[in-house]
Amino acid sequence: MCGLAGVARARPQGVSAQLLERMAAAIRHRGPDGFGLHADDRIGLAHVRLSVIDVAGGAQPMANEDGDVRVVYNGEIYNYLELRHELQLRGHVFRTRSDTEVLVHGYEQWGEGLLERLNGQFAFALHDRRTASLFLARDRFGILPLFYAERGGDLYFASEIKALFASGAVEQALDPEGLDEVFTFWAARPPRTPFRGIRALEPGTWARWRDGALSVRRYYTLDLTTAEAEPADAVERLDELLRSGVRLRMRADVPVGGYLSGGLDSSIACALAAQGSPYHLRTFSVTFDDPPLDESAFQQAVATQLGSRHAVQRIGGGAIARVFPDVVRHAETPLLRTAPAPLYLLSRLTREQGIKVVLTGEGSDEVFLGYDLFKETLVRLFCLRQPDSRWRPRLFDRLYGYLPPQARKGDFWRRFFLNAGSPDDPLFSHLPRFRLTTRIRDFYADRFRAGLGAFDALGELRQSLPPGFMGWSPLGRAAYLEIVTLLSPYLLAAQGDRMAMAHGVEARVPFLDHRLVEFALRLPDRSRLRGLREKAILRRWAEGTLPPAITRRPKQPYRAPDVPAFFAGTEPEYVAELLDAASLQRTGIFNPEAVTGLVRRCRAGLATGVGENQALVAILSTELWHREFLGAPARERAPASSGELGAGASIAA
Amino acid sequence: MDQQTTGPAQSEIVDRARAYVRENFLYMRPDWTLGDEDPLLGSGVIDSIGVIELVEFLQGAFRLAIAEEEITEQNLGTLAAIGRFVHQKCHANGSGGSVRPRQVA
Repeated sequence: MCGLAGVARARPQGVSAQLLERMAAAIRHRGPDGFGLHADDRIGLAHVRLSVIDVAGGAQPMANEDGDVRVVYNGEIYNYLELRHELQLRGHVFRTRSDTEVLVHGYEQWGEGLLERLNGQFAFALHDRRTASLFLARDRFGILPLFYAERGGDLYFASEIKALFASGAVEQALDPEGLDEVFTFWAARPPRTPFRGIRALEPGTWARWRDGALSVRRYYTLDLTTAEAEPADAVERLDELLRSGVRLRMRADVPVGGYLSGGLDSSIACALAAQGSPYHLRTFSVTFDDPPLDESAFQQAVATQLGSRHAVQRIGGGAIARVFPDVVRHAETPLLRTAPAPLYLLSRLTREQGIKVVLTGEGSDEVFLGYDLFKETLVRLFCLRQPDSRWRPRLFDRLYGYLPPQARKGDFWRRFFLNAGSPDDPLFSHLPRFRLTTRIRDFYADRFRAGLGAFDALGELRQSLPPGFMGWSPLGRAAYLEIVTLLSPYLLAAQGDRMAMAHGVEARVPFLDHRLVEFALRLPDRSRLRGLREKAILRRWAEGTLPPAITRRPKQPYRAPDVPAFFAGTEPEYVAELLDAASLQRTGIFNPEAVTGLVRRCRAGLATGVGENQALVAILSTELWHREFLGAPARERAPASSGELGAGASIAA
Repeated sequence: MDQQTTGPAQSEIVDRARAYVRENFLYMRPDWTLGDEDPLLGSGVIDSIGVIELVEFLQGAFRLAIAEEEITEQNLGTLAAIGRFVHQKCHANGSGGSVRPRQVA
């Protein structure tokens, strides 16, 4: 995995090497192994490289024989050997062993039709000199990032927003609507970002820029239509897809390790990796000093069974607060949870231990219906069918087992779910969560709220839903919303790619092999959520492969301490600085009086509910984000000389 | 001395509960008018963990023991309901106690 950046000019005025070097330097953490750029009168391409496949020959930008097609690319094409073979049969001549070259020849052969043939995680920018156009593309689920901004007819693009700012040409300003989406969904919904004028290329889309005009097209759509009955060979087919997905993701010229959470999904990924690895498998886990959050016993059980060399990143008091400003800088968005912070530390440990590629379990909970939210949706529907039933609402007490027992019983708890919305609302499944999250809006400063005008994040989401959405089952609709509002823009981004790449670690996601996703989403709901038993078919498959303690274990969501991370021990200085009334007044997003009330309750140990924990992390991270990106211009702070790009630099002009 | 006259008046219970709710759950919405019959849950004023805090406050402030089965919307759903419930408990059992209250309509 790597980082890319570049500029496409509307007029042939050239792109300076210094400009490209500044952009590349801002994302150097993504590719510490090499650097390259290409510049001509209309196009500038820059690349920072993490060498994983064809370490010696895979330098970028990479062109075809005559230089007509040139690409900078971040990611992995796992079926590159098969595609390479197919292209060779059609007469293409390859000069390297890298997957990058498959993009070059594949684009020559199939144009944008190439994308449907790729099995992988990718974002790339490809200059086609024959048509004087630039082609941008992003993988189906948004595992890897790609941002762009149009300025004066020119297009600036990069793996991370900080590279756009480092160009000096892209305005640094907040987008209130993007922020309001963060405080509704946990992340802005692509193409929106929290920055004005900066867009995220949506997962499953491509864009073509030509003569100063950009057109965006979707090449991949999710279909949540389920089969009537489970195929007789469903478990065998699942077995093939899981093994194939992991086997392809073990392709690398460096050792591939695994993140082990202690849950079912990462255990499956690591178990299959251990079977196929030519190396002694390395596994990595986060452990918490706080017992309710800690899963180390389960992690250890799996590591022992797999015989992996296991390393742990312990999260004790103060660890999260110490790195939180760096976490926000890498995430480039306000956060509602501190959960990315332990993963930031885990990728540092992984890299220090010499591993730069890991498998993770992301994506399984969405497609195999693992989250409590899916059960909650079923229970709400069940209760609403007989609103007078006194016993049906007691099923809510069985959800969210990780919350304190006294908080998830009784009338108030049950009514929160029952009154959250009507089953006719397309967003029914997510209304309790959205309702809880949007309580952050209570803290808005009046002027910021006024600036939002009539903006309606939920209304826009409803408008964006695909035709046929209401024809899917309630769980299908819930899974779709979970994928587009949380998985792609938050879990794979702020908590995924950004935390891993902060230390040059590539996270590979076997459960998001599109063949497996399509298979799983087509299974009847009851194959995945049987009664209130989540991921049923996956557990059936895993029996015999993993310890029963893992296959029978209920889902435990990954969580990290939020308010206690900043207030339980020594309070970091930046908390008081940023949450000071005068500082908040200057930033202008939150009401200082309201925040002062929240901080008082945090310091007194009273802010124990989900709403206040989210609000505190949201406000603090927003102020950190504002200080980082909307304070001094990035150009003043980014390393400006090519010398800082380090060894391995190559410049082709 | 008659226990019926020693406990707090219903209006005092309502006022103290209102002050507590304002300070702890509505500090971010100082302009919010909280009427005696306004729902505390439906309006998003208090979440389920907030209810536990509220119960602890009521137990401490009025020297009561509130049983889990008493934590209902009927007893705690509005300031007025809290006033009736706490008043009844105090006066059913001196200034405190764990005797179940009569159901309030």
